[in-house]
Amino acid sequence: MMLDTSNQKKFVAKVDDLKVYFNSKRGTVHAVDGISFDVYKGETLGLVGETGCGKSVTGRSFLQLLPIPPGVLVGGSIIYNQQNNSSQRFETGSKPGFPNSRNFEFKKVDLLTLTGEEIRKIRGDSIAMIFQDPGKSLNPTLTIGAQLSEVFLQHRTEEILEMAGLGSEASGAIRRFASQRNRIFDKWLVNLSGNRSTKSRVEKAVADLVAKALSDTQVPNPVKLMDRYPHELSGGMKQRVMIAQALACNPDILIADEPTTALDVTVEARILDLIQELQQRRQTSVVYISHDLSLVRRICDRVAVMYAGRIVEIGTNNEIFKNPRHPYTIGLMKALPSADTARGELLAIPGNVPELINPPQMCRFFSRCAFATDKCKNQDPELEKVTNSHSVACFADVAEISGK
Amino acid sequence: MWFMQTWIEELLLENKMNERAFDNSHYNGDTAFRVRIRRFGALVGRLCANPTTVIGLIIIGLMMAMAIFAPWITEANVPDPYQMPRDWGAVRKPPGTPGFLLGTTNEGGDVFYGVVWGSRTSLQLSLYVVGSTMIIGTIIGSLAGLLGGWVDEFLMRLVDVFLSIPELIFALAIAAVLGPSFTNIIIALSMVIWVKYARIMRAQVLQVKQNEYVEAAKVIGDTKLNIYLKDILPNAVTPVTVQATLDMGNVVLIGATLSFIGLSEAGIAEWGVLVSEGQAGIASGRWWASTFPGMMIFLWALAFNLVGDGLRDALDPRTEGR
Repeated sequence: MMLDTSNQKKFVAKVDDLKVYFNSKRGTVHAVDGISFDVYKGETLGLVGETGCGKSVTGRSFLQLLPIPPGVLVGGSIIYNQQNNSSQRFETGSKPGFPNSRNFEFKKVDLLTLTGEEIRKIRGDSIAMIFQDPGKSLNPTLTIGAQLSEVFLQHRTEEILEMAGLGSEASGAIRRFASQRNRIFDKWLVNLSGNRSTKSRVEKAVADLVAKALSDTQVPNPVKLMDRYPHELSGGMKQRVMIAQALACNPDILIADEPTTALDVTVEARILDLIQELQQRRQTSVVYISHDLSLVRRICDRVAVMYAGRIVEIGTNNEIFKNPRHPYTIGLMKALPSADTARGELLAIPGNVPELINPPQMCRFFSRCAFATDKCKNQDPELEKVTNSHSVACFADVAEISGK
Repeated sequence: MWFMQTWIEELLLENKMNERAFDNSHYNGDTAFRVRIRRFGALVGRLCANPTTVIGLIIIGLMMAMAIFAPWITEANVPDPYQMPRDWGAVRKPPGTPGFLLGTTNEGGDVFYGVVWGSRTSLQLSLYVVGSTMIIGTIIGSLAGLLGGWVDEFLMRLVDVFLSIPELIFALAIAAVLGPSFTNIIIALSMVIWVKYARIMRAQVLQVKQNEYVEAAKVIGDTKLNIYLKDILPNAVTPVTVQATLDMGNVVLIGATLSFIGLSEAGIAEWGVLVSEGQAGIASGRWWASTFPGMMIFLWALAFNLVGDGLRDALDPRTEGR
């Protein structure tokens, strides 16, 4: 995999010809059918499209979260360009506290081919995810502190031991106690061996990390919040907790799957500000999955418009919103209500999304497109560059459309 | 004097600073524990709001007290306290006879002794059976729910086979094959009852593992065992505990039936055995020998059913906070 040298930015993830199909009784659903895009370091990439266009499936395949028995990974790859990552750092034996040491090697892996144990190490550490409904994303039987500590125990064992003043000479039981494996048993073992002070030091180290992660998300009184149960918090607070959990290990990529859909507008604005602020501070790339165009316009650096399992247009925020080239994107822009259009003049795109079961080789927007030609009926257009950063998958004359 | 004063002041100040440092940075596990206690208190409060549940709890409390303090209530029979004492000089005595508060049986067994020590055998029976079946059923049900596929298919067909035979008949058959003894009744009942828990647990696991917080735990890179222990199991066990409470009563009922038929050792201090010993005398007016232990069986089963129902209502999230 060669880096695109014409583009000076570093890519963190490169999705290449990703194809995810779902087997159903009526046939194979081509949920994601050959999409390719890059995610650059520190940017926010918006993934927009209507329900069922495959944007969530794309997001989930980053972490191998697809339900594989009905779903089939037909092809493609997601190359992840591993950035500074502390668990890696510790394994190479270099001293902690030098995240960007020069001898650190950037590692490229294909996320789709990793084994269960390998992807588990990446989940929550290098790539994190936030879900739509914060109310359902927290275990009702655990306190916030207990839930947040899991991510640290899972990925930051060395750091915890370091903070507890134990370093590398910690015994097996304590190491396991700080790494979540068989924790109940080891808690008992550590207690039994009379190492109560060691145990409480480890617990304190974990609690400090959790409190820090929580205070980063600007929750009032994080220490007190740790003893609360999820049902005692508001939706916005829960989403803050989820963000704290997701960003706890400084991930390279944050996949946000409509994180504010379940929240009201004022809370949404604050959560978005929070994500943006944390992202800028930590240079995290965000893949923001949404169907809310105005929201995407506000926060995203680049936007990929998806339609029926394909990317029809991808470009920078300005290019997509000021100079859309694909008929579908243009239709979407027209459908956006704005303050200066008169009442009742909301323009919808005629027709419906085609069925994704065994689609024929033709442009998927054909049936709804005002610029459709015979060529569109026989061939499926590929993404083609308009400018360096702007690509469109359409045969129609660009000038004609943009003149419209 | 002055230096001592400053010394004490310094000490106090240091102490205070330590305290503050502790307050600000330390995650105090105690508070989480207190929250847990508070929630448990709330559960007990909801439980006690229901008068029938309170009645059930009182009956269970009395039965437990009777089982625990049995040696103090009546003197234990010398070689084996679970064997009924026989006084062949005092057969068929009516209740109220001095020394035999509830009368005696045809074979000179003290009914009061049988009733009191019978609570011990019943408690043992229900605890062993419910305890073991709950663990076995939970493990098997969880395996079926988590692994799915052919494991699920195999285990659930096995459960279906067990469920297709009526509980009592099946237990009777197993106990008869194993031979008459109280231990065999425990084994027979355990073999019959675990399937219920396996079924409940499988359904619960299938439902709970769909929750988004299980996915969220996956996303932070948690191991499968941890996800099961922390996210799935605690959220799935509630119906199992309710079923266990109900079964505490039912097990004694079935156990007494098996004993009545004669599948436990003869002469054991057990309510079912006592009822069977006294049943011959009912026609001739000696009602006491089977009525008192029969009443105990009835009260035991009733009490646990009342509490089980109350627990189900109290644990129902829809009634929470009402």
